[in-house]
Amino acid sequence: MSAEQCAVIGVGQTHHKKKRADVSIPGLLREAASRALDDAECTWADIDAVVIGKAPDAFEGIVQPELFLADALGGAGKPMLRVHTAGSVGGSTFIVGAHLIESRIHERVLAISWEKQSEGNAQWGLAGGRSRGIGAGGAFAPWIRAYIEKTGAPEYIGWQVAVKDRLNALKNPYAHLHLPDITIEQVKESAMLWDPLRFLESCPSSDGACAVVLTNEAGGRAASKPAAWVHATAVRSELGVFPGRDPVRPQAGVECAHDVYRQAGISVPRQEIDIAELYVPFSWYEPMWLEGHDIAGPGEGWKMVESGDTEISGSFPVNPSGGVLSSNPIGASGMLRFAEAALQVRGLAGEHQVDGARTALAQAYGGGAQYFAMGVLRSTPA
Amino acid sequence: MTTSEQAAPKENLVMEHLVSLHYSEELTPILERYVDALIDGRIVGHKCPQCSRVYVPGKGYCPICVVPTSEKDEVEVSDHGTVTGFTIITPVAYYGQEETEPFVYASVLLDGASGNLGGQDVVGIPRDQVHSGLRVRAIWKPKDQRTGEGVSNRGWGSVASVIDAFEPTGEPDMERSKYEEHIF
Amino acid sequence: MPATDIAVVGYAQTRSVRRARESEVQLLVPTVATALERAGLDRREVGFTCAGSCDYLTGGPFAFVSNLEAAGAWPPISESHVEMDGAWALYEAWVRLQHGDIDTALVFGSGKSSPSDPAEVWAQQLDPYYLAPLGVDPVSLAGLQARALIDAGKATERDFAEVVARSRRAAKDNANAQVSGDVDVDPLLQEPYVRAPLRRADLPPISDGAVAVVLARGDRARALSKRPAWIRGLDHRIEVHQPGMRDLTVSSSTTLAARKAGYDGGPLDVVELSATFSPQELILRDALGLGADAVVNPSGGPLAANPVMATGLVRIVEVAQRISEGGARRGLAHATGGQVLQHNLVCLMEGD
Repeated sequence: MSAEQCAVIGVGQTHHKKKRADVSIPGLLREAASRALDDAECTWADIDAVVIGKAPDAFEGIVQPELFLADALGGAGKPMLRVHTAGSVGGSTFIVGAHLIESRIHERVLAISWEKQSEGNAQWGLAGGRSRGIGAGGAFAPWIRAYIEKTGAPEYIGWQVAVKDRLNALKNPYAHLHLPDITIEQVKESAMLWDPLRFLESCPSSDGACAVVLTNEAGGRAASKPAAWVHATAVRSELGVFPGRDPVRPQAGVECAHDVYRQAGISVPRQEIDIAELYVPFSWYEPMWLEGHDIAGPGEGWKMVESGDTEISGSFPVNPSGGVLSSNPIGASGMLRFAEAALQVRGLAGEHQVDGARTALAQAYGGGAQYFAMGVLRSTPA
Repeated sequence: MTTSEQAAPKENLVMEHLVSLHYSEELTPILERYVDALIDGRIVGHKCPQCSRVYVPGKGYCPICVVPTSEKDEVEVSDHGTVTGFTIITPVAYYGQEETEPFVYASVLLDGASGNLGGQDVVGIPRDQVHSGLRVRAIWKPKDQRTGEGVSNRGWGSVASVIDAFEPTGEPDMERSKYEEHIF
Repeated sequence: MPATDIAVVGYAQTRSVRRARESEVQLLVPTVATALERAGLDRREVGFTCAGSCDYLTGGPFAFVSNLEAAGAWPPISESHVEMDGAWALYEAWVRLQHGDIDTALVFGSGKSSPSDPAEVWAQQLDPYYLAPLGVDPVSLAGLQARALIDAGKATERDFAEVVARSRRAAKDNANAQVSGDVDVDPLLQEPYVRAPLRRADLPPISDGAVAVVLARGDRARALSKRPAWIRGLDHRIEVHQPGMRDLTVSSSTTLAARKAGYDGGPLDVVELSATFSPQELILRDALGLGADAVVNPSGGPLAANPVMATGLVRIVEVAQRISEGGARRGLAHATGGQVLQHNLVCLMEGD
């Protein structure tokens, strides 16, 4: 017996901001979930199960917050799962939701992920409550440096990505950062945080949530708006620390990508994918993931950036939504990649729509670049 | 659903709820031996009987082969090594943060070890001259000041409270090909 | 209808102790290895891995990442993690196995409760706006539930003590139990209250432990186990969080989960319930419609060993073991999450 097809018929997200002082945590989630339900033309009662994901509980200081959020999410009497796979969690939450449909266990699933960083202290959380924390970028900066040294990439590549994503974000009303005056110079002059990463090359800290309504083939075909069809999902994890590990091009990332390409019948990703939403929290991760998922050959990722291929009007648009560099409610960021990919192939991405987008790649990563959650979504069923 | 983000957000009541949780865990027997050696001025690890990788500190198993390791697999590694990767961190303020000045955060591959010692400070050289391949040696605290305080079962600060930092030895840099496999 | 040919084919658990010298991952590594060995499965063949644990219990954000070393995550594996008891990790693996493209899965759950004070940690497992600031600790909540049960005329303190006495006696036969022995009901009733009407004995012990399970499907299950414990039904349901908004003397979500899992009220040879407080066994028995003669918690249950985040998965193992090795035909295992039975999972298993 083969798996059921999964369709995304509703997408919702909050207006991501540094501090959503106007809503409580339940309010934040309901904003995203309500938008997803409205988009899916469903009510809370139509949902069979809820899958919820977020980054470590320590970021808001609540142990297993999904337990109290059950009330706000119409969870009473339903199954609820809480996924936690570090930064990739938004992506794996989407995938766990999709599994419930593909297994035919449920017909309509609400998958939601979130972070309300202003109601906690993520810097403290990332430091494990200790002094001398390295923040979010400290672990990645040495690997970025290694990528630059190995490939000989010019220093302005990172700045270019930083500008591109923030200009894209101007077309996304939900994005946190709207920096209409951003320039390469500004990025280059911004404060150094984790050498060589500068302030404007790094993601913001956002309050936000993202929700999707997933259903089966019959539900997808019956929806009045176009659905996004899940053609492939995969997760891969590898040990984060071991002698001989390549953290710049993690094998788990390579294998995860090849698994989704195989499932989706893609042999030349560079040509057969119309748009990619990749988890790029620090500018240099754009060229690194282009190579890390075999979209570009070794040492060629930065050239795709330099030549403008990854611009919204380019031949391989990356992060037309503005990406993680423009909005980073950590727990939700991974799901936003899948949600934005879905909007693109549904033709519903508004001002940041990529023309003719029919095949989209979504990717989220987490931990020491060791957890990967990826998917391929298309405009038509498999 | 709210549209209040269109109008000025109303002032909501915000309450601070500071919570202090205490965790107290005895060091595992392997880490106890590791700490004893550190206080004695030696760095020890476990060598996997199957693949020969040397883990500092030992874990009680090899995570690649998933076979057990124990005292009989204990080996000593040098306190000299090579910087294989680094960044310079500009500290941000948060509850409990004590750092105020940018600091080096380097991975050091000790001679004899297979994996890096992470998060080491490198001193005795201007920060902007720190580079991968730099040969360094440990600056030990005086013996009577060494404690096991920095070592925990969580893997935080594995040589903290015995080694202050690393400094250049003056030797020529290690060739990239020799440490390329060990950037993390 | 979900596939009913997914089975437990291997398992292992640690002996629960008050304070383990090993770290959590050091507890897991041999446990996972043993479970795979018992199933006769090479870890490289495992199709999907899922783990359950709680960062706040382990004592740090991303704490679950270290446990990946027990899974043997090199070369890379298809793996996920839930911030829940291992029983829900088993649920996720069971869902994944329904797709039909893989036929084996590895599941594990672990937790060391010894480094922290449960009254401190689990008091943060509540609504942060309305409940957590009150400093409500889990034993107090369980005490309120016990009081409600007595006031409703559904149970007496003696009934609670009988659960304790029976559990401890049964635990004598369980090499993995932490608390066991012969104890009479009357002396138990002489003990002082901790949170009236609960006494120390009505509470679970503080335990460190780990558990691992190997699942397989169809022909693969038959190849790996002489007598697979088939999962015929698996479901879980959550209730409203606010304790004041639900009837604490019943477990409606357990009843619902059991029904959805296909439990028809028929005879069961063995039942393992995650009744972490003695009154909860009575509530759960009722919720499942179990007769007075039902064999409940022959392992001693959570009152004998409570490795939080593994306790629920241990119940599944205890039932699976009695089917695979003990000749039992049909059994039911229950897991719970949150406080005072907010979230409940029911797993129905059968032997050939």
